[in-house]
Amino acid sequence: MDLTLLPPDITAAHSGFELAVAACADLDALMRLKGEFTGRDGSHAARMMDLLKTAPKEQKRELGAAINGLKNAWEESIKKRQSELEASKKRGTSLASSWDPDLPPPMPAHGARHPLNRLMDRLVDVFRPLGYHVEEGPETETEAHNFDGLNIPEDHPARGSADTFYFAAHEGKLLRTHTSPVQVRVLKRLAPDIEKLGGIRFLAPGRVYRKDEIDPTHSPMFHQVEGMLVGHNIGMHHLKGTLAYAMKALFGPAADVRFRPSYFPFVEPGCEVDVRCPLCGGSGCRVCKGSGWVEILGAGLVHPNVLRFAGIDPTIWSGFAFGMGVERTAMMVSQTPDLRLFFENDQRFLKAMGGLD
Amino acid sequence: MLLERRALQTELPALAGLGNVDLCELLASLGFPVDGVETKQGETILEVDITANRGDTLSQRGMARDLAAKLKAPLASLPHTQLTEGPALFPVRLEADACPIYATAILDLGANAGTPTEVVSFLASMGSNAKQLPAVDASNELLHRYGHPTHAFDADTLKGTLLVRWGREGETLRTLDGVDRKLTSNDLVIADEAGAIALAGVMGGDATKVTSDTKRVLLESAWFDPRVVRRMAHRHGLHSDASYRFGRGADPAMAKIARDLLAARLQAWAGATLKGAWTAGQIPEARPAVTLRLGTLGRIAGAPIDLAEAAAHLVQLGCSVKIQGEELCAVPPTWRHDLALEEDLAEEVLRLRGFDCIDSVLPPLEGAPLPLAPNYLQARNLAYRLAHVGFHQTVTLGFISPDADAAFAGSDNPAEGRTLGNPLGQEYSVMRASLLTSLRATAELNLRQGAKEVKLFEIGPIYRSTGNGPSEVMVLALVWTGTLGGEDYLTRARAVQAADLLGVARDLGAQGTPQVRELGEGMLALEIPLADLPAHEERIIPKFTPFSRFPALERDLSLLVDLAQPYAVLASAMTEAVGKAAGECFKGLGCVDVFRHKSLPAGRQAWLLRLRFQAGDRTLTSDEVDGWVTAALEAARTLGAELRG
Ligand SMILES: [Zn+2]
Repeated sequence: MDLTLLPPDITAAHSGFELAVAACADLDALMRLKGEFTGRDGSHAARMMDLLKTAPKEQKRELGAAINGLKNAWEESIKKRQSELEASKKRGTSLASSWDPDLPPPMPAHGARHPLNRLMDRLVDVFRPLGYHVEEGPETETEAHNFDGLNIPEDHPARGSADTFYFAAHEGKLLRTHTSPVQVRVLKRLAPDIEKLGGIRFLAPGRVYRKDEIDPTHSPMFHQVEGMLVGHNIGMHHLKGTLAYAMKALFGPAADVRFRPSYFPFVEPGCEVDVRCPLCGGSGCRVCKGSGWVEILGAGLVHPNVLRFAGIDPTIWSGFAFGMGVERTAMMVSQTPDLRLFFENDQRFLKAMGGLD
Repeated sequence: MLLERRALQTELPALAGLGNVDLCELLASLGFPVDGVETKQGETILEVDITANRGDTLSQRGMARDLAAKLKAPLASLPHTQLTEGPALFPVRLEADACPIYATAILDLGANAGTPTEVVSFLASMGSNAKQLPAVDASNELLHRYGHPTHAFDADTLKGTLLVRWGREGETLRTLDGVDRKLTSNDLVIADEAGAIALAGVMGGDATKVTSDTKRVLLESAWFDPRVVRRMAHRHGLHSDASYRFGRGADPAMAKIARDLLAARLQAWAGATLKGAWTAGQIPEARPAVTLRLGTLGRIAGAPIDLAEAAAHLVQLGCSVKIQGEELCAVPPTWRHDLALEEDLAEEVLRLRGFDCIDSVLPPLEGAPLPLAPNYLQARNLAYRLAHVGFHQTVTLGFISPDADAAFAGSDNPAEGRTLGNPLGQEYSVMRASLLTSLRATAELNLRQGAKEVKLFEIGPIYRSTGNGPSEVMVLALVWTGTLGGEDYLTRARAVQAADLLGVARDLGAQGTPQVRELGEGMLALEIPLADLPAHEERIIPKFTPFSRFPALERDLSLLVDLAQPYAVLASAMTEAVGKAAGECFKGLGCVDVFRHKSLPAGRQAWLLRLRFQAGDRTLTSDEVDGWVTAALEAARTLGAELRG
C-alpha cells in the first residue's frame, strides 16, 4: 500500500487509527469514529474519493488501490471493535470499561431556603419537644393588640409615628412592631379553654416593622420569634431552664445563658438574655467584643396585666415570654457583615447561607 | 446616659477599689449595660443604657444609690445646707395637680467669679459646654449630678404672681431655643400676669431667661407629673435634659434640696445674696405600700427566699418595710415610681441577689401539645420542595413604591387603603398587592450579577384594601428566567419556557392553569394563593386505593390539528368519547410530542397523543383496545383533526 500519494493529514490520521479504535469505550464513541473515517460526507474516505476523481489519469489506478486498501482496513478494524463492544455490553460490563469516574457527574440543580426561614424553622424544631406549637398573626395590627394588651402605656414613645408605621386611611391600624401582639391574640383565643389545655405554649415566628432607615445593621422590616408559656407556678428558673435548653440545642452543648435585669412593659421581672459566645466559646472575640457573651433575647415573666387583659386570672396562672431577633442572631452566628445581604437575595448568598434543610 | 467615673465615686466612695471592667459588669448585672467606655481629658466616661422605668438612675448620684444598695456601702452625704424659708416675695399659685410642689428663691447676683473649673470639666464629661452664666451652669451641673432639673428666671422680667397652670388655646410662648410654641390646654406652663413664661419641666421661655446682664434671679425647683411632661415633650418635639428626667419620674423630695443647692452655688460662684426662699405646695403623699407574699416571691425566684432577706434588700433600696407573717409590706422611696406590684418588689429582690442565683429548671409539661398549624406546615413544606427543585427562597420588604405596586394591583384593590401615613419614603409607602414586583427586581439583580439561570420563590402576605384596613393573603410567587441546563455533558442549554413553570406549579398541586406572566423578556412568573394549593395533609398515610396488577396498554395517535386548536378542547372531547367506550379501563391521555414544521400542511401541526388502558381484573386484548382508540380518533376528527400519514 503506497500511502505517499495521500495527503499528509490523512496519513497522520491513519497512523493514530488503531489506537483510536481501541480507545472507543462504547458504541457511541465507535460510531463517531466511524463517521469520521468512513462516513458518507466529509470523512477521510469521502475526501479521498474526491481526490481520486480529480487525480491525473495515470495515477488513478495506483491511488484507487491505496484508497481501497485503507478503507477496507478501517472498516475491518471498526467491525471487529464493534463486535467486541457489543459482546461486552451483553455481559453488562460496558459501564465499568467505558465510564470515567473522574468525569464530574451532572448534579441535580438544587436551590435553597432562605437563611432567616431556616433559623426560624430550626427554632420551631427546637421547641417542639417541649410541647410548643406555632402561632401566626397578621402584620397589620391594631393599637389594642400591639400596645394596649401588652401593658404599653398610652404615652410610650414606641407608639409615636417616629417609631411605628401607621396606615394613612385607617385610624389606629399599624404594622406590628414586634411579634408580641401574637401573645395577646393567642391568650384571648385560648383563655376559655386554658384549664382544659393545661396551659399555653407556643412559638410565633414572623415579620415585624419599625421605622428604622436601612443600613448595615438596621432594616425597617425584620423577623422575630416570640415564645410564650403559661402554666401554674411559673418562675424565672423555668424561663432560664427553657432558654438554656434551647440555646444548647441551637448552638451546641457548650452554650450557656446569662440573665441581666431589663425592662419591657409586658413582662415583670424582665431580663435580657446573653448566650455564651458561640464563636469563641466564651474566651472573648470580636463578635462578643471580648466579653464572651452576646445578647440574643429579651424575656421575662408575663406581666399580670397582660394575662388580665386576655381574660386569664393571674392569681392562678403565670408564665414567661421571650423574643429573639432573627437577623441579629443569624448575623452573629454566620458573621454576615451586613444585614442588607439577607434582603438582597443574591442566589449565591442564598445557596451558601440557606441550603436545603 | 453618661457616667463620669470620678463623679460616681464621689457619691459612692466604695467604688474606689473597683476596676473599670468590674464596674461595667456590676452595672450590667443590675440592669444597666454599658455601651461604651472612653477617656476624655483624663476622665473615664461610661455610656450606660437606662430602661424607661428607671428615671431615678438618670444622674451620678441616682446610679450611685443603686450601686450602693447592691454593694451595701454608704452613699456620701449631700453637701446640703437647708435654707430658711420665709414669706413669698412673689406669690406662687399652683392651679394644676400635675405640679404638687414648687420651691423657689430670689437672689441678687454679685460679681461673677466664673464657673469653677472642676464643674466646667464635669459638664464637659457630660457632653455639655459651660456657659459661664452661674445660674445656668449650676442648674445644669445639679441635673447631671443629682438628677433634679431646676430653672432660673431673670426676676426683673417677671410681672406679678407666678402661676403653674394649664395653657390656654391660642396662647404662644417663645422657648429658649427661639421657637414660638403654640400652646394648648394640655400644656402645663409657668406663667406670670403677662402670660406663659415656661413649658413646665420641658424648657424655659426666651423672654425671661438669664443673661449676662441679669441682676436678680428667681429659682425654680419643682416636681411635675411624668405623664404630662412626656406628652408635652412629644407634642412639641422638644426633648430636653429636663423633660427626659421629669418625663421618667424625678424625685419630688429633691425639689427643695435642689433649690437649696442651686442657691448655695450662686452664693459661692457669683457672690449672690439670698433675698428670700419659699415653697408652694408640698411633696405628694408617699406611694401606696406594696405587699409581697412569700409564695409569690418563691414562685418567681424558683426557690424559697426568706422574707427577712427580701426585706433587707428592699431597705437597701430605700423602701420602708414591715413583715407580717408570710407577707412583706414595702413603701417605696420617693424616687422609685416603678414599684407598684408585688412582682416589682420580687424583681428588686432578685436583682440585688443577682440573676445568676436563679436556678435553671425546665417547666413541667402540663397538657398535651397542640398540633403544628397546617398553614405553617404547608408553607414550610412548599419551601422545602421548591428548594429541592432548584428555587431560591427570597425575603423582600413588604412595602414598595406606588408605581411598582400599580403594575400588579387589580382595579378592585386600590392602593389608598394600603398606604402608610408615615413611610420611610415614597419608595416604601404601599403595602404590596403582589410579590411579583419585588421578585422581578430581585431576579434582575441576580441577572446583573451574572447568574445564567435565576430561580426564585417567596412565600409571604400580599395586601388587599378593605373597609376595615388592609387584609393579608398568603401567596407563593415564583420567578424563573435565563438559561436552563447546558452545565453538564448530558443536557443541552435552552431558554426557560412557560410550560416549565406551569409544570412546577402543577407538581405543587396547583389546580387548573395558573396564569404565567412574563415580567420581562424571558422572565416568567406566577403567583398562587396558598389557599389554592393543597392543604397540609393531616393523615400520615392516605386511604388505600387498589391498583391493577394486569399489564397496561399504551397506544399513540399522531394527529394533524390546526395551529389554533386548543389542546384542552381536543383532549376533553377524546377523553369523553373513550371514557364512554372503555369506562374504568381508560387510564388517561397525554401529549408526548408537539411537532411544527414547514413540511406539514400549512396551518397544521402534529401532536403525538398517548392513550393508556388498563383493566383491574384481566389482561386487555388488542382488539378491544383498538375499538376504544377508534372512538378517540372519531372524536378528534369531529374537531378537524386527522391521522398523520
Ligand atoms: Zn466571642
